Amino acid sequence: MKILLIEDESSLRESIITYFTDEGNICETAVDYKSAIEKINIYNYDCILLDLTLPGGDGMEILRTIKKINKKDGVLIISARHSLDDKLDGLNLGADDYLVKPFHLSELKARVTAIVRRKSYDGSNVITFNEIQIDTQAMSVKIGDNVLTLTRKEYDLLVYFIANQSKVITKSAIAEHLWGDEIDLSDHFDFIYTHIKNLRKKLIEAGCKDYIKSMYGVGYKFENI
Amino acid sequence: MKLATKYNRVTLIASIIVFIFTGVIYYSVIHYILTNKLDRDLAIEEDEIAAYVKTNGKLPQAGSFKEQKVSYYLIDPAHDFERKYFNNDYFNESEQKIEPGRSLISTIDVNGELYSVTVTKSRVESEDLVRIILLITLSITIVLLITLLLINRFVLNNIWKPFYEILSQMKAFNLADKNDIYIEPTKIDEFTELNAAVAAMSLRVKQDYRELKSFTDNASHEMMTPLAVINSKLDTLIQTETFSDSQGELIEDIYVAVGKLSRLNQSLLMLAKIENNLIGDQETIDLDELIRQKTRQFQELLQSQEINLKTDLANKQLNMNKHLADMLINNLLSNAIRHNYKGGEIYIHLNEKELRISNTGSDDELIASKVFERFYKNAASEGMGLGLAISNQICNLYHFKLNYTYQDTRHTFKVSF
Repeated sequence: MKILLIEDESSLRESIITYFTDEGNICETAVDYKSAIEKINIYNYDCILLDLTLPGGDGMEILRTIKKINKKDGVLIISARHSLDDKLDGLNLGADDYLVKPFHLSELKARVTAIVRRKSYDGSNVITFNEIQIDTQAMSVKIGDNVLTLTRKEYDLLVYFIANQSKVITKSAIAEHLWGDEIDLSDHFDFIYTHIKNLRKKLIEAGCKDYIKSMYGVGYKFENI
Repeated sequence: MKLATKYNRVTLIASIIVFIFTGVIYYSVIHYILTNKLDRDLAIEEDEIAAYVKTNGKLPQAGSFKEQKVSYYLIDPAHDFERKYFNNDYFNESEQKIEPGRSLISTIDVNGELYSVTVTKSRVESEDLVRIILLITLSITIVLLITLLLINRFVLNNIWKPFYEILSQMKAFNLADKNDIYIEPTKIDEFTELNAAVAAMSLRVKQDYRELKSFTDNASHEMMTPLAVINSKLDTLIQTETFSDSQGELIEDIYVAVGKLSRLNQSLLMLAKIENNLIGDQETIDLDELIRQKTRQFQELLQSQEINLKTDLANKQLNMNKHLADMLINNLLSNAIRHNYKGGEIYIHLNEKELRISNTGSDDELIASKVFERFYKNAASEGMGLGLAISNQICNLYHFKLNYTYQDTRHTFKVSF
């Protein structure tokens, strides 16, 4: 997928690019209002990651421009402003999602993947990873021909893993993804382990290879083998 | 005591004392003057009798006429006799009744025989006069006092009106409010000065408060970007290569700390936002449904702690911001879980009037007066001590009442709508 990252903080920019640039993703950047507007006018992107506080202009203006020139690019706002109004405003103006800084790169990737999936393939809602087939519309999972019965949390976890394949995902990122960031679960990571164990067991029993790898202390990795 | 009451009381007491005092003096002076006049009349009468005796060599006829009575009797010349004035009652023959009188008793020599002469004049007239004067004085006094009180009440109230106005404005003064203190101009210098001082003070306080707020706000926002950088760098770092177990643990600790820091920051921002009343749209919230949804969200946590959750939810709708409702239930529920023990209990009760969340937990009662303060927490708590402060702010915003009680080893938080 082709992504435009509009962000003025250089070290954050680098990290995001490093995280996104593999598996054939193209990631372009804009560091200020002017260059962002230029790029948006010339190219098409699958998803635009938009920081709201930019030198030279308001990020919200960029969003308005995108909508005005009728671009179909997905827009994900990343902002330090955890303002309820910002959030509503952004979504009202047609942003697809909103992520508050600081965030986990895995969460960003999952959100971007979801936006791109919704926007492209014209109604094709199937995620395929080797023998795993996920129909996001019906929220059903098949391993080859075997239909897998997963709980909601296990299903979310699997989609999250596939969106972040070959990446190490931390336990706190998983916890926040599954239970929301309002709950501080940092003292209770042990039950995340239970969910992952259950998912892994179900996948293997259905004839799937064991893709989930535990990285001690750090987290988990879903990797093609 | 109100200033006007105090003032009224003082003036009232002072005027009563003054009136009584002057009344007594007034009465005695008039009384003295009238008695004096009677005495002089009596002396004239005595002189007339003496003149009559001198001319005619005998006493005039004794008797009573025209408020006056004269009587004689023979006395022993050896007996020492004193001329004196005195008050007495006598029988007024023309009026046929006993009346108060003033008498002069003296002696007169009629052809070598010593007679005692008593001349009595009626005091009724002068007593009446004194009484009328006293009555008039008293009624004037009373009328005056009443007038004084009325003037005090109405004029004082009127004069103090600007004061009460500014007082009510100061009472209603809210730092976070947008509107400033405005007072109608008055003609009284003292109040004009007071108004100006209060207005200036409120402006200055607001200015300071705004600066402080925007400082907190900006500081928190500025902190978010470095936090985001740390987080993203950590995310990048863990992709690089395999770590040893101890390195992994170190990284996890950093993650947890960064997570705590950003949550803390967000809580501070949220507090500022609620305080500044920057909360957006309200909508109708089905509170019972929201609680059910939250308990589902917390289900795994409850299970892992083996906490027994009992709910008793009646249908209740509230008009509030969705995000804040979410946060309120979240905070109360996660507190009930966090401060519980393995195998403990949580009971949620919701009805039209109130929401009660009670949980088993430590045997120590929290300090009810401090529990909603920022950064208040007991030593064992791993939270930041902001959750309840935020919950309380949310309740304040919607005029709910949040309170804490501890009874039968259960900690209960109650929201009264």
